[in-house]
Amino acid sequence: MNVELTELTRRFGRTEAVAGVDLQAGPGVFGLLGPNGAGKTSLLRMMATVLPPSSGTLRLLGRDPGSYGPRREIRRRLGYLPQTLGYYPGFTVAEFVEYFALLKDMPSRQVPRAVAAAIEQVGLGDRARKKLRTLSGGMLRRVGIAQAIVNEPELLLLDEPTAGLDPEQRVAFRTLLREFGQRSTVIVSTHLVEDVGAACTEVTLMDAGKIVFHGTPGELIAQGEAHGVGDAPLERGYTAVLAAARS
Amino acid sequence: MDDEALIAAVAGGDDTALRELFAQHAPWLAARLRTVLPAAEVEDVLQETFLAVWRGAASYRPELGSAGGWIWGIARRQAALWLRRQGPAELPLPAAARADGQARGGTSDPAGLGDPADAALQRAELAAAVSALGPAGGPQRETWRLMYLEDRTVAEVAELMGVPVGTVKSRAHRVRQLMRAALRHRDPVRAGGRR
Amino acid sequence: MNMTGEHGHLPGGPGPLDVDLDRVWTGVAAGVWCRQPGRAERLAGRLLRSPGLARALLTTPSLLLGWVIATVVVLGTGTVVTLSTGTPLVPLLAPAVAAAGIAYAYGPGIDPAWELTQSMAIGDRMVLLVRALAVFGLNAILGLVASAASGAAAAVTFGWLIPMTAVCALALAAATLGRSANVGVLVGLAGWLITVLSARAVTGQFSAAFTSTVLIVPYLIAAACCAAIAMYATRIPRGTP
Repeated sequence: MNVELTELTRRFGRTEAVAGVDLQAGPGVFGLLGPNGAGKTSLLRMMATVLPPSSGTLRLLGRDPGSYGPRREIRRRLGYLPQTLGYYPGFTVAEFVEYFALLKDMPSRQVPRAVAAAIEQVGLGDRARKKLRTLSGGMLRRVGIAQAIVNEPELLLLDEPTAGLDPEQRVAFRTLLREFGQRSTVIVSTHLVEDVGAACTEVTLMDAGKIVFHGTPGELIAQGEAHGVGDAPLERGYTAVLAAARS
Repeated sequence: MDDEALIAAVAGGDDTALRELFAQHAPWLAARLRTVLPAAEVEDVLQETFLAVWRGAASYRPELGSAGGWIWGIARRQAALWLRRQGPAELPLPAAARADGQARGGTSDPAGLGDPADAALQRAELAAAVSALGPAGGPQRETWRLMYLEDRTVAEVAELMGVPVGTVKSRAHRVRQLMRAALRHRDPVRAGGRR
Repeated sequence: MNMTGEHGHLPGGPGPLDVDLDRVWTGVAAGVWCRQPGRAERLAGRLLRSPGLARALLTTPSLLLGWVIATVVVLGTGTVVTLSTGTPLVPLLAPAVAAAGIAYAYGPGIDPAWELTQSMAIGDRMVLLVRALAVFGLNAILGLVASAASGAAAAVTFGWLIPMTAVCALALAAATLGRSANVGVLVGLAGWLITVLSARAVTGQFSAAFTSTVLIVPYLIAAACCAAIAMYATRIPRGTP
């Protein structure tokens, strides 16, 4: 098990962004769905060791991120793409990916090859030495994905990774997810329900800080067969589960 | 962009031009090297070759030969370096040459070239040049085999292939043209017989 | 691997089956795209035993060449003015310049990717510590050189190091609390200005701010408190929900 969450809670003032989440995840691709404000980003931030939990237990890659040493070990094996990622305009694509590879404590001998492989994997091989300020939004998102995968992480956390990617790039991205899902735990938070269906082995649906559904995409589709609203099967399952949870 | 323009761009520091050159040339270079080297070594030699292209693009002169020939020259040097490091025992010499060498007292150097690395590479180049004549059994290839391997006269070849003497002569002329071009590195010979 | 098209091979043909051309290209790209760290970075990497920390240090905005040149210009002007008019300007300027430099060593104020840096193995607090020490050290050295060059007495030459420490700590505390480098600069400069003016109001001299021995202990206490605040502010990453 790479991720073990028990009764995980995060409060901001009096609101509970994450209200007692239980989750276990081994290798594979896990989709995290839910409306705005459901707590997905806070959950991802806790798993990225960027936000400490208010209560509950969190074990990542078999370690407790509460103490300095294990947290550092987790972070060496972690890849994280936040929802909004700023960039350094004067850096090139290669310099940006290399900077974060170094901050992840990768041995410097391995860094050039790892950076080259990551850049090619996200399809930016013809722009490796271009400055970030010359890139479009979708390309910048792909740079973000490249820095997340550069250290071949065992735990890969992606918050809205496909924002700004065109359909062809999304297909390539799903292939990348499946590849990583074979040896690592990949958790993808996304608004795009179809993305989830195509690449994920399991889907988790959150609403108001709680998990209201956890299962395979097929099971989510089954939930929507009778009463779901939407154009696609997964969408119908999504709306049906949300409606049931709120009633 | 054609190859000369790509190399000029690489000399100017354009890494996307190098990427383009790699996409075009790495496959046939790999195929040619594979006849002389094991797969893992082909990868290393090819990597060193293109890094050398990156560093030395400014020294390329179109008047001295084609781009493909220039790159093959670099690959050849890298391959020869590796082969020399390995020593003669590792060379993939055909069984006949080995036997011949042993009969002569232990040296596997049938062409008397002195450098097994060069000999192996020349064999690779010859094989590539022959494959430029077309698939085995095709008109040019058959003509070459009958005239130059089996040493037959034009009349004999005409009778064996069932074509007029004039046709044999023009095919032989074509064969000589193709071989000359391939062996003088004026044309990069692509694997699989594509011209 | 994006070089291969739908056919799964490069435009020039398939190549031999057992040769991984993608792997070869990765090796070539690694050699072409890699950045060679300069001598300073390699030395820093050995001293800090971490190439990542060295890279983070050398990308500190207030250690970049432009900033250092600006610092030298400011202190140099102070030296020249002191030499011609006799008023010790360097001790007044050095703490201010250093405070600005320290504030601009802080990430979230000016680092667009700061949320990502919080998830890094080389922690952002460690980076801040190394950067702050380097900036302080550099400014101290430049200030001492300028001060000695302007021919001031020993007490004046070294006396301003303590106020400088306090002002820098103040700027750092403000930057980390306000999550903004600009806030740090403003508070640091304002604090120093107030101190100098109050000292003048009490004793009639500007130089009392850095020559008066009475102030040494208060400065040190202030520095310690501000450092503690900065540590606290960087310990808990406050995320917005």
